[in-house]
Amino acid sequence: MTGSRLLRSLLRIGAMAGKEAIHVRRDPRTLGLALVMPVVMLFLFGYGVSSDLDHIPLVFADQDQSEASRALARAFDGSGEFTVVGRPAPEGVEALFRGGVAVAALVVPRGYQRDLLLGKRAEVQLMLDGADPVVGNQVLAKADAIARVESQRLAGAAFARLQPPLQVKVWTRYNPEGRSALYMVPGLSAFLLAITAVMLTALAIAGEWERGSMEQLFASPVGRLEIVLGKLLPYLVLGLLELLLVVAFGALVFDVPIRGSLPLIMLFGLVFMAGMLGQGLFISVVAKNQLVATQAGALSAMLPAIILSGMIFPIENMPLPLRTISRLIPSRYLVHGLRGILLKGNGLDVLWPDLLAMALFAVAILGLATARFKRRVA
Amino acid sequence: MTASAPAGAAVDHAIVVSDLTRRFGEFTAVDRVSFEVEQGEIFGYLGANGAGKSTTIRMLIGLLAPSGGKATVAGHDVATAPNRVKESIGYMSQKFSLYLDLPVEENLLFFGAAYGLEGKALRLRSAELLERVGLDAQHEATTGDLPGGQRQRLALACALLHRPGIVFLDEPTAGVDPVARRAFWELIRELARGGTTVFVTTHYLDEAEYCRRIGLMVDGKLVALDTPAGLKRTWVPDRVLVARGRGLAAAGSRLQGAAGVRAVAPFGAGLHLRVDPARLDGAAVAQALREAGAEAVEVEEASPSLEDVFLAVVDRSAERRP
Ligand SMILES: Nc1ncnc2c1ncn2[C@@H]1O[C@H](COP(=O)(O)OP(=O)(O)OP(=O)(O)O)[C@@H](O)[C@H]1O
Ligand SMILES: [Mg+2]
Repeated sequence: MTGSRLLRSLLRIGAMAGKEAIHVRRDPRTLGLALVMPVVMLFLFGYGVSSDLDHIPLVFADQDQSEASRALARAFDGSGEFTVVGRPAPEGVEALFRGGVAVAALVVPRGYQRDLLLGKRAEVQLMLDGADPVVGNQVLAKADAIARVESQRLAGAAFARLQPPLQVKVWTRYNPEGRSALYMVPGLSAFLLAITAVMLTALAIAGEWERGSMEQLFASPVGRLEIVLGKLLPYLVLGLLELLLVVAFGALVFDVPIRGSLPLIMLFGLVFMAGMLGQGLFISVVAKNQLVATQAGALSAMLPAIILSGMIFPIENMPLPLRTISRLIPSRYLVHGLRGILLKGNGLDVLWPDLLAMALFAVAILGLATARFKRRVA
Repeated sequence: MTASAPAGAAVDHAIVVSDLTRRFGEFTAVDRVSFEVEQGEIFGYLGANGAGKSTTIRMLIGLLAPSGGKATVAGHDVATAPNRVKESIGYMSQKFSLYLDLPVEENLLFFGAAYGLEGKALRLRSAELLERVGLDAQHEATTGDLPGGQRQRLALACALLHRPGIVFLDEPTAGVDPVARRAFWELIRELARGGTTVFVTTHYLDEAEYCRRIGLMVDGKLVALDTPAGLKRTWVPDRVLVARGRGLAAAGSRLQGAAGVRAVAPFGAGLHLRVDPARLDGAAVAQALREAGAEAVEVEEASPSLEDVFLAVVDRSAERRP
């Protein structure tokens, strides 16, 4: 009895979702918005950077003054990517940064050559001007590549080792948390998912009210929860596709690593989307028509995702009130979570608070929206 | 189904409504309305804009909770078992619009699935209905490309997929051309002949003639309820005569105010007269017109239209208001 009722309910949800999928398929604008926009935006963020960035001005603060450290300097200078524009003492680096003479500094500590010879790990520091995260990303990626080659050369000389002998430690000035454009891919993911979920669902459901077909649905045995689930499902799938697309393009175009697990990325995307879909649903129940729903959807999805998520402006640098508000913004947790998974290879053991925060938001907003939805008659 | 019908309830009543009321805040949109609709009849619900027709329907289909009174549809109480009601009725809302971006057939398949049909049964049923409403050739067309009349027929088909015993049609022919309206009403009558109860609202008084019985709503109240003929007898007791001939204008004005003559009005090239049926008939009026100077007079009795009824009802209600 209950089994067959559940089955009937699932069939109705399937019918709703199937119909919605046909809408999406037949509307090139929706698909375009959902699948082309991410790619376009990634390239927008990525361009301007790759074309004119070679001979990046670098200062080389050599405290070791050894054969090995000079080899490292040659590796950087001879790559064509960097030009050594000065060799100050470490105390002078700050001034060169502030004066805009260099956007990166390589600091080789005393004992570099000794450590290498002893077979210990030698550490150098790369300091970045992180004010422009896009530039920062390029610098980081290139410095990383050169250091890896140098590391391989050293390892080859001293036979195979388990650990790379050369370790580059990165310090970013001016923008310590939003360290580089590597961090943009997670941010962009949050931004795009939020837009897709909130805007498209708000639009789709407001359209159903406006068209009058919502009343027709209410008059049928399809339950309100079934309507909600059926309508949201296709957009959930679409959003996850977007996430895959952004991560894949990020990896291909920006060399953004995927150090953690892909299923975990999808889990984060799923929970985040649930909250965003709830937000879209809520807007569409409150807004009376598609126009209002679009505007409210765009504002409530985009602004927090850009301003408060840490995508561009580091949360640590925000004034206290904004920092507090940002705790209520799910994109903040997605950005943090994705950064952790992609860049650091973190797992759930580290990132569960982010997941929990997003889940709480999703439950709260979906509950609120469904309650409003139930009370509203066509 | 019968289990939830109270014992002894009249089984041949598809809809039983008593003192049904709906308030929106201070405003009473439907005010203690009572009526019954028999199984298989076409029941017309007439009223001006804002009279409360749609609100009544929305209560009857379990969409809107009544503020007072009771209504039973297909044996189910609309207040306590709205879901049972929804399963046993078909509904075409006033604002009904199909999914215009979907093909014709997808609309049917979707609404069929919403009502729990599936697989082969659903496909067969939708093909059958497409044929019945004359849209089988257009089943792949995009719904938005259909003309209004065909859309309304498709909407009707969508409401009939699950073979409901009762259908509620809220102004189904609004904004459709006369030919399409006639075709649509042919479908409605066919439906009723097959035993389906049809509850239909309309603005078109000529359409109301097709209904077996008509309820007239004025400001939320049901002020008249009868067959079209019965309504005319009660509300337009005058005999309506149409006179043709020469010199009628002058003769007519002389007749104005004569015993038994209630109204005289020019009507095209002729005259429209309303007379007391107890005192005057066609022959007597023809005679009087001739005596008043008209020539070649012919007088014919015309039947009152529902429009006459409607105007009389509205007049009466207006008089009663303080
Ligand atoms: N949800 C609502 N909230 C407040 N007032 C409402 C609501 N629904 C209807 N009304 C009011 O109730 C009255 C009756 O509306 P209803 O839609 O039943 O009229 P109708 O007879 O169907 O008119 P029409 O021919 O224009 O469709 C109208 O004055 C309308 O403004
Ligand atoms: Mg209405």
